[in-house]
Amino acid sequence: MPTYKITYFNFRGRAELARLIFAAAGVPYEDLRIEMSRWPVEYKDQCPFGQLPLLEVDGKVLAQSKTIARYLAREFNLAGKDSREQALADMILDHYADIMNEMKVIWLESDAEKKATLVEKFKTETLSKHLGYLETILRQNGGGFIVGDSLTWADLMVVDSNDWLGVMFPNPYDNFPLLAGLVKRVREMPQVAEWIAKRPDTPR
Amino acid sequence: MPNYQLVYFNGRGRAELCRLIFHAAGVPFEDIRLDHTKGEWPGEWKAKCPFGQLPVLVVDGKMLAQSKAAARYLAREFNLAGKTSWDQARADMFIDEFDDISTEVYKFASEKDEAKKAEMSEKFYNETLPRHIGYLENLLKENNGGNGYLVGDSLTWAGLGIANVYDLLGGTDAPFAKFPLLLALVKRVRENPKVAEYLKTRAQTSF
Repeated sequence: MPTYKITYFNFRGRAELARLIFAAAGVPYEDLRIEMSRWPVEYKDQCPFGQLPLLEVDGKVLAQSKTIARYLAREFNLAGKDSREQALADMILDHYADIMNEMKVIWLESDAEKKATLVEKFKTETLSKHLGYLETILRQNGGGFIVGDSLTWADLMVVDSNDWLGVMFPNPYDNFPLLAGLVKRVREMPQVAEWIAKRPDTPR
Repeated sequence: MPNYQLVYFNGRGRAELCRLIFHAAGVPFEDIRLDHTKGEWPGEWKAKCPFGQLPVLVVDGKMLAQSKAAARYLAREFNLAGKTSWDQARADMFIDEFDDISTEVYKFASEKDEAKKAEMSEKFYNETLPRHIGYLENLLKENNGGNGYLVGDSLTWAGLGIANVYDLLGGTDAPFAKFPLLLALVKRVRENPKVAEYLKTRAQTSF
């Protein structure tokens, strides 16, 4: 078993999907969380693109959170059973990334009143459409897992999204019963539940 | 050989990486370009698309959305993804970085306020892009002194990805002027026989 280390800040943020994958797979790793004050001086130079999170596998480094999560999923047989399933999981990852990019623009809006309007507009128009597509995909796949017929990292993406969407939009899956059911089921899986219970409690 | 259709608009945009992969691999595909002025989009396609967006890749009638997911699938099918699991991850890492660069370009490309657009463009070319390309140049040096490819010892979709970024930035050497190794790599990729043949005959489009 290789030695794994994830370096990030003390947030769930862009490292949490990888942490959930380690948890679901039952694979130990060093979960290094660095203080903002020690970044960039101590860590930035190690990073291929000057950013965190960073994955180290027996000393070799990998950057980019989506790439890190996909590599781990593949190594731990959580990527999907065949090439098409792997592609479907990638597709769901990219869709969540699009949602996150759109939310980032709103997050960075400095005018509080304007921001509140953007948040409301996004919630009622854009987000419900984006999540609706995923509810349909889950329904068309039989409602159990979102890709294939067993747990993949795509299901963990849904669980993770419940947290990061929740920062701006509390209870994001309230109107999406199949997705809400998936989040609940996966969060109750023993190894995932254990991680969620013991992970540091951070605002995002 | 499966039947492949790639559906997009008449431009390079978010479909071009898939097209480059098909051509580099020498695999035929139906290159469908929808004309929205003729009602071809949304037309019948939008409702069929998993996220209501283009491009979509159709493989023996089954749909796959999201340009990067589709490109990775094709790269894997055509042995252009990387020879080992680690190499595949390294290629993915470069593709994510190229996507970060492209996202920045799309931000100011779609900005309607001309003054703001000019300001964003200047910041991108003077600060953001050199920073990104600097990292890429350093990483390239780590692989065979920079005279090979970004990943492993042969062409992968990561190489096609940087060539695609070159086109996105206007198809001239200027943005890469201070980064000779990366520019040399772009040229090497563009001179790959199948890629070169495609570039010679590819339709000139506005995006």
